[in-house]
Amino acid sequence: MVTLTPDRKSALRRELAAIVGPGGVLSEPDELLVYESDGLTLLRALADFVVFPTAAEHVADIVKLANRERLPFVARGAGTGLSGGCLPAEGGIVISMMRMNRVLEVDYDNQIAVVEPGLVNLHLSWAVGPRGFYYAPDPSSQQACTIGGNIANNSGGPHTLKYGVTVNHVLGLEVVMPEDGSIVWLGGRTRDPLGYDLPGLFVGSEGTFGIATKIVVRILRKPQAVKTVLAVFDQVEHASAAVSAIIARGLVPAAIEMIDHLTIQAVEDAFGCGYPRDAAAALLIEVDGLRAGLDAQADRIEAACRESGARDVRTAADEAERQLLWKGRKSAFGAYGRVSPAYMVMDGVIPRTKLPYVLGRVNEIVAAHGLRVGNVFHAGDGNLHPNILYDPRKPGEEARVVQAGAEIMKVCAEVGGSISGEHGIGLEKSDFMPFIFSAADLEFMQRLKTAFNPNGLCNPGKVFPTKKSCVEVGPVAYRPHTIEEQGLAQRF
Amino acid sequence: MPALLDTLRATVGAAHVLIGVELSPFVIEGRTPDAAVFPGTAEEVAAVVRAAAAAGAAIVPWGGGTAVAVGEPPPHAALVLGLRRLARLVEHEPGDLTATVEAGLTLAVFQDSLRARGQWLSLDPPDPQHATVGGIIAADASGPRRHLYGTVRDLLIGLTVVTAEGAIVRGGGKVVKNVAGYDLPKLFVGAWGTLGIVVEATFKLRPLPDEERLLAVRFDRLKDCGAAARSLLAGDLIPNAVDIVDPVAAAALGLGSAAALVVGFDGLREQVDWQVAELTALAGSLGGRDVATLPPATWPRLATIARDAIDSRAALMRFSVLPTLVAETMEQGAQAARQRGLASAWAAHAGVGVIEAALMAGRDAADVTAVLTEWRAMATTGGGHATLTWAPLAVKSQVPVWGDAGPAGRIMQAIKAQLDPHNVLNPGRFVAGI
Repeated sequence: MVTLTPDRKSALRRELAAIVGPGGVLSEPDELLVYESDGLTLLRALADFVVFPTAAEHVADIVKLANRERLPFVARGAGTGLSGGCLPAEGGIVISMMRMNRVLEVDYDNQIAVVEPGLVNLHLSWAVGPRGFYYAPDPSSQQACTIGGNIANNSGGPHTLKYGVTVNHVLGLEVVMPEDGSIVWLGGRTRDPLGYDLPGLFVGSEGTFGIATKIVVRILRKPQAVKTVLAVFDQVEHASAAVSAIIARGLVPAAIEMIDHLTIQAVEDAFGCGYPRDAAAALLIEVDGLRAGLDAQADRIEAACRESGARDVRTAADEAERQLLWKGRKSAFGAYGRVSPAYMVMDGVIPRTKLPYVLGRVNEIVAAHGLRVGNVFHAGDGNLHPNILYDPRKPGEEARVVQAGAEIMKVCAEVGGSISGEHGIGLEKSDFMPFIFSAADLEFMQRLKTAFNPNGLCNPGKVFPTKKSCVEVGPVAYRPHTIEEQGLAQRF
Repeated sequence: MPALLDTLRATVGAAHVLIGVELSPFVIEGRTPDAAVFPGTAEEVAAVVRAAAAAGAAIVPWGGGTAVAVGEPPPHAALVLGLRRLARLVEHEPGDLTATVEAGLTLAVFQDSLRARGQWLSLDPPDPQHATVGGIIAADASGPRRHLYGTVRDLLIGLTVVTAEGAIVRGGGKVVKNVAGYDLPKLFVGAWGTLGIVVEATFKLRPLPDEERLLAVRFDRLKDCGAAARSLLAGDLIPNAVDIVDPVAAAALGLGSAAALVVGFDGLREQVDWQVAELTALAGSLGGRDVATLPPATWPRLATIARDAIDSRAALMRFSVLPTLVAETMEQGAQAARQRGLASAWAAHAGVGVIEAALMAGRDAADVTAVLTEWRAMATTGGGHATLTWAPLAVKSQVPVWGDAGPAGRIMQAIKAQLDPHNVLNPGRFVAGI
């Protein structure tokens, strides 16, 4: 990494201010602190500068400057990411997209919107809502996270079971390229992009392929009707079995979410959303679409749940009850504060049919480390979110959390799953990549990265393993992350 | 070459290396390959690629051969690498709604085994009896139901490829949601075999719907079809297909000689019934003549009805335009052909803005060139693009197969240079000189 002398730093500060205006650059340590983490506060790193462009040309000029100075740079949205993906891993420039937050155009007839990357996900649905439209990908952080951050992580959400993830809703992007700051359109407003699917590759590249400055997304007509069912179970295994039973009946609900006993306690303590406190697990199942046939679908779901051993199945009586149930689901992470001083969110994916086995293994692993876990996750997709509860003030507890997390990822890999369904690899899981990819796979991906980002200055240190851990077998021991060793980050 | 042939025979067995007159099914645009090789495993594919690369021979990957004529002509001294021996259904777990197949399996056989267990791959590209899974991925082939269910990029969740250097690489996985690493499946969709050879693929599946129905509404003018499609898409209905056929294509479908809006619905019976009633009311209010239910056998004809409607074809062009510009593009395109005395046929997956046009051969080659050039300009003016998906060499020498990729073409060239540095896979056939 480049260490800047104070003189050099102030000269660069002046240059950055000339690009974005004097109010658009932060360089004092106390100002930079705000940007040292994302939603995964375990990892921290300080940038030399945080800049706030308001136009693609600004971003291009910043990238050109960074290249001239050989300074690494990384784009940042709302900082709600959960894998350290937007951390300035090696100092350099954080390019905050938060002032580029406009809806530039909505074409209702063609059902597309052109937006800037700093736009908050939910604000797009608000903007097009009055005309009966919405933006489908709905990460639980959608009140804060940005479309640009969603692009980087290919974000999902509860309703991806039926509607797909971010990449299924992006047609084109205007991108500032890492090496020369050129502004290039990948894809556009029409389907079937000419040549390679560059928009498809860019989405989910975790900010390592360039910086999006405009995004063309699909907007969907709001469904005519929605029905939300809560199924209550006395055994987690029965809830898991119900997920497969629903799928086996030929249904693809909009969402199937599972909430376990511990999470129900936290949610009820915090918000009182109407989940039965004594349940071992609950499934929140939503069907949407045409009003015709919706009752029949809900009936099939109820039958599948009861056959799988549900104690109670009820349908939200009205929109208020439905919103309350969803509030419990979407606010669950925040509610863990009621039952634990801290928690770490895990993100893994498994084939749906492996749910009963893997949930059992998760419990065993966490218990073996003397910890507790709350599960609230996208069961229909097999996308697990074990939340390991811990107390950071207790010595050694955090290291055990990290260890348990690695073991859980191993289990996901062993059953044919993946180490991330929606939170990304970032810094957090880069050393887990060999769990699911061979050295040849990773080398191929590295080459792809080189095609977009040849000198590696754009979001360095992410996605790929930092150590020669490709042949490691068995549980991975906790060890300081590279950036901790460099004194750039600390765990707390 | 003889040394290479010996290596290939030793690798895959002499019976699986074709030369001489046996190569007639593998002639592309009048160019006969030096040999056609049919490996039986992914490892053999990798060995063949390494041998060919070492010998400096270009490789043309070959699935069912249904789309080999797409693209610029292949190089001389090419080796056809056929995947027909890699045709197993590797795994189908209904509870996971996923299946893994080898690339040489035909779509029809794949769908038959899925259907037996109540599921399907929601893709309906042309010629499923011959088109293979790998070829469908490479060509990004699609059909009318893409309106609701998307295209290969929306359904392919993992794959195994043999790289240009003969390594075996996996991307994605077997789970329906996965953001670990770069999305390699996207890289190979529509890449026409220029970056690697797909040997295995994993897809998301869907349950078979209880009921499906296809309907046609005839209108006096194409413009009215476009307006009806727009009203349909602005409402509550959830069609699985929204196609528009011009009078020539409509006649080929047996719908008389009026333009028609062809709409599909699936789901529970009451969902389909309600939607058919709504469509009937909508069509009436917009000047539709009648609503006819089409036989299920019409479905597979929709993807190719424009080309099938013209006997002596000079060219086929595929357009991607904004959905609102579909009817206009069809009308103006037909008009441009007519002005030069040429007939044309048009059919569109209107809701997603994808059109296929077939142009009749004329006496004067200059007319064909002029019309195709005009057609492409129509697409680009509206922010879309057009690909010359089929034409004789004489036409291809006048009209580029692919549109201008613009500055993005440089990124595509950089990807190709990184992943196929010796330019072994389908060289010179794709966009931006790739």
